[in-house]
Amino acid sequence: MKQYLTYTFAFCICIIAIFFFHGCDMRDEFDESPLVNFESCWQILDENYCFFDYKQIDWDAIHDKYAAMIHDETDERELFQILSSMTHELQDGHVNVIAKYFYSAYDGWFQPYPPNFDWSVIQNYYKQGARAGDYDEIRYACLADNRIGYIYYGSFNESILESELNKIFETFKTCKAIIVDVRDNGGGSLTNSDRFASRFLDKKTLCGYIQHKTGKGHHDFSKPYPLYLEPSRGDLWLKPVILLTNRRCFSAANNFVSKMRVLPNVQTLGGSTGGGSGFPFMSELPNGWRIRFSTSPILDINRQQTELGIEPDIPVELAAEDVENGRDTLVEEAIRLLLSAG
Amino acid sequence: MKKAIVYLCLCFISCPLFAQFNSEDIPQGMNEGTLAGFGASQVKDTYLSPFTYTGWGARIFNERMTMLRDMHFSRQQTISVDITSTRNPAENLNDFGAFADYSLAYHYRIPLGANSRLLPGAFVHLMGGFIYNTRNGNNPLSAKVDADMGFSVILFHTLRVGKYPVILRYQGEIPFAGVFFSPPYKSSYYEIFNEGNTSNIITLNSFHNKLSLKNYISLDIPMNSATLRLGYLCKFYASDEKFLETRILSNTFMIGLVKNFVLR
Repeated sequence: MKQYLTYTFAFCICIIAIFFFHGCDMRDEFDESPLVNFESCWQILDENYCFFDYKQIDWDAIHDKYAAMIHDETDERELFQILSSMTHELQDGHVNVIAKYFYSAYDGWFQPYPPNFDWSVIQNYYKQGARAGDYDEIRYACLADNRIGYIYYGSFNESILESELNKIFETFKTCKAIIVDVRDNGGGSLTNSDRFASRFLDKKTLCGYIQHKTGKGHHDFSKPYPLYLEPSRGDLWLKPVILLTNRRCFSAANNFVSKMRVLPNVQTLGGSTGGGSGFPFMSELPNGWRIRFSTSPILDINRQQTELGIEPDIPVELAAEDVENGRDTLVEEAIRLLLSAG
Repeated sequence: MKKAIVYLCLCFISCPLFAQFNSEDIPQGMNEGTLAGFGASQVKDTYLSPFTYTGWGARIFNERMTMLRDMHFSRQQTISVDITSTRNPAENLNDFGAFADYSLAYHYRIPLGANSRLLPGAFVHLMGGFIYNTRNGNNPLSAKVDADMGFSVILFHTLRVGKYPVILRYQGEIPFAGVFFSPPYKSSYYEIFNEGNTSNIITLNSFHNKLSLKNYISLDIPMNSATLRLGYLCKFYASDEKFLETRILSNTFMIGLVKNFVLR
């Protein structure tokens, strides 16, 4: 009996060990095959990208078009070019292919449009003002005999302290209105853009909706979930605001504009924003290249997409003669409108 | 969500059931072992990447086995903390994982001859942790929170090596029901935690969407005043819910000391 139990026990242990050491091995192989990586890239986007329907993209046809370019001798550089071209068909600045030495980014969302922004001209206005703390991307000044405040927020990658925002709004306390300039702000963190936007309202405000993909199909989306902005506990600015925009306002900056334009004291002026309303995720290919793509559409208050940009309330373009004279047409027009409002 | 909370409560009905042992739950003796170990890990979480990452894991494992007064039942409590570092097949991306487990089990002791005992029983288990991918921007982390209950079995066999008794033990555990954190397919943590969309993030689990197995083998070798314990722990965790797959396999070899206490 004793011997029988010992052998049974040892046998069980061996079976379990063999099962777990070999049967459960889940390792994936490193694979540089051009076709495997092409198919993987196409499939990741097929199952996760969120704007196929909105942009009316026939992703199967795009597969056939680019798969025909892949052959056994396709080298790394050629594969990267093919994947870049394929992903550019999505016309989305949030879709990138990232290889060891290459980075693919679609720039069609801003290249064909007038820049509507000249950094050297803007610096003329700072001569009257100051930089905010140690921040590179945030500058502010008081203009028009201290009657109009001006603040430039160049990137929402830059996080600003609440205390620093208090300091800025304290500077503006004698102003009757302010200009908020987010031109050329390519986005960053939604937390940063929400923190800034929360200074311009005094009650919880519905400012948009978010959806997410619930499955791998092109139509599999959740119901829009409402997004609210809560007022900051710091100093608030409830007097008039003109928000300056251009085509290079993208991603979190586009989202900031979408939220700010809901507020009754805010008008937008300048050019259309660049869009980029899909919340991006990342994944990877078998060869280790990474791919970024939009997965969760963020909608405006009317449940409309802002992926292709937001038109301004007051369209204004930067005039060449103003630039030659060191003036920014958009800033000047905003000052004129705010002062004339009484 | 409400259904999940009700289910979670049901899941822990086993706790009051265990409490029924209280009338006889005056412990007679306790055996406490703490082990530390190192081994191989494989991690796949499709919220982060479609591929399996492989690497190493380290674990600290504490176990308290208390024999209850009537000698028919024993209570086992285990706490385990596990960290992993794994790399993708192309060896250019890293995942880091950290998990903490607690389980409480009660076993009925059945003697099998003079040197063996079989202990069938049941357990409740809590697990929390995360897998962190170092290069993913908006989806860098996959959180893991599980609460479940299941079956447990222990087989002890005492061998004689010279004049010393060496105790060989196998323990297997398999949960059969519980709840776990499972966000919708591509729902971002920004939407869940910043914006508060917590609908549909807790899911009931059983064999249809989760399989978790724990196999533990230990060898107790008596030393002077304590006992040396060598252990091998193999944990396999697989979930498949809302088109998201998770697979975690760890094989850990451990070493530690065991102390025996007599409580009266």
